[in-house]
Amino acid sequence: MRVRIDGRIREGRAIDLTETDVSAAAVVRAIDGENGRIRIDCPPPSDPHDHVARLPPMTFDRRAALATAARALGHTSPAESQLEATRTELADLSPPSVDVAAARRRVAETGAAEDRLRERVAELRGRLQARRETGADTTAVEAQLDEAVSQLSAAETERIAAEQALDRAEEAARAARDRRDRRLELEDRVANLEREVRRDLASAVWERFRAALRAVPGDGTVGPSPGAYDGDPVTAALAVARLAPLDAPVVVDGVERLDGAEAAASTLDAPVIYIG
Amino acid sequence: MLLVVTYSQGARTTLRNVCRTHESAVVRRLGRAALFAETELGAFLALRLRAKHGDDVQIERTRPFNEFDTVPESVREAAAAYEDRETASTPYAKFAAGTDHPDPETMRDADL
Repeated sequence: MRVRIDGRIREGRAIDLTETDVSAAAVVRAIDGENGRIRIDCPPPSDPHDHVARLPPMTFDRRAALATAARALGHTSPAESQLEATRTELADLSPPSVDVAAARRRVAETGAAEDRLRERVAELRGRLQARRETGADTTAVEAQLDEAVSQLSAAETERIAAEQALDRAEEAARAARDRRDRRLELEDRVANLEREVRRDLASAVWERFRAALRAVPGDGTVGPSPGAYDGDPVTAALAVARLAPLDAPVVVDGVERLDGAEAAASTLDAPVIYIG
Repeated sequence: MLLVVTYSQGARTTLRNVCRTHESAVVRRLGRAALFAETELGAFLALRLRAKHGDDVQIERTRPFNEFDTVPESVREAAAAYEDRETASTPYAKFAAGTDHPDPETMRDADL
């Protein structure tokens, strides 16, 4: 690997930048191919770099990191083909959208209009009755009543149509919910399979992880079963960096237990750029 | 009460959070569904879920079930008698045949 900062070139598998003012973030960006003040010629970062590009890592997902390292070492999980198939089925499943709200609103509105007209008819009937009892002229009220009755009949028809439309929309919504149920089921299955794949991959490198933990400084120990780890995340990250195949350099910045570029490179069994 | 059923992981998570922060409005939690109290707050929470997750949220209005109010005596008696049957493996249709108990087809077509 070759590191060039402000025209000065450093070469080797362990490069010490403690005397410079460059930041770990800038070095990581340069490893990823950004050309600026710092230029780094090195092989492209592999997947495990996502987890251990910089030590200590800001966050460390041990299971995911181990799975990625295992994959980089050529391990696979028997659950992978099923995971792929389930993901495909999930991607192909798009539940239709059904607008039930408009149908509900129409039922509510037509129902309210019908109620208003019903009250109006009752009121006019009362008025007509009263006029008949006092012998007053009923012609005008009769005409109003006829009009209101025919409006009420139209409103009833409209309300019934609205209710039928709502029934149909709800039926479609029920069918769509079956698909949503299925989608939820598939999502849960994908999550379970992902966990299974991660577990398989982590198991595949568990012995290497145990050996790597013994070779790096720190108090991490593994339990009897794969997945059981007792220790701090930095120690686990160092062990993963050691066991993963890393061609691009790891940036070490502020891991006090790694003293110097050479020591870090040999402990991590990887090319190292040491910042301090 | 308002029955809220969720149909996606996002909606399920929101429902869980809503139930946690508004315990007083939640009558019962059932996995990815919940019963909210029939109050404006209950309705507000249900509608908030629907506003956020659309069709992934189903809202139904429920009311307590009083079988003595709504279910014919013949159906209530048939249910009790069937549960009291002598042979566990007898299907209901066979159990009801030749008795006064209603047959399943008749009950299927009769709305409550």
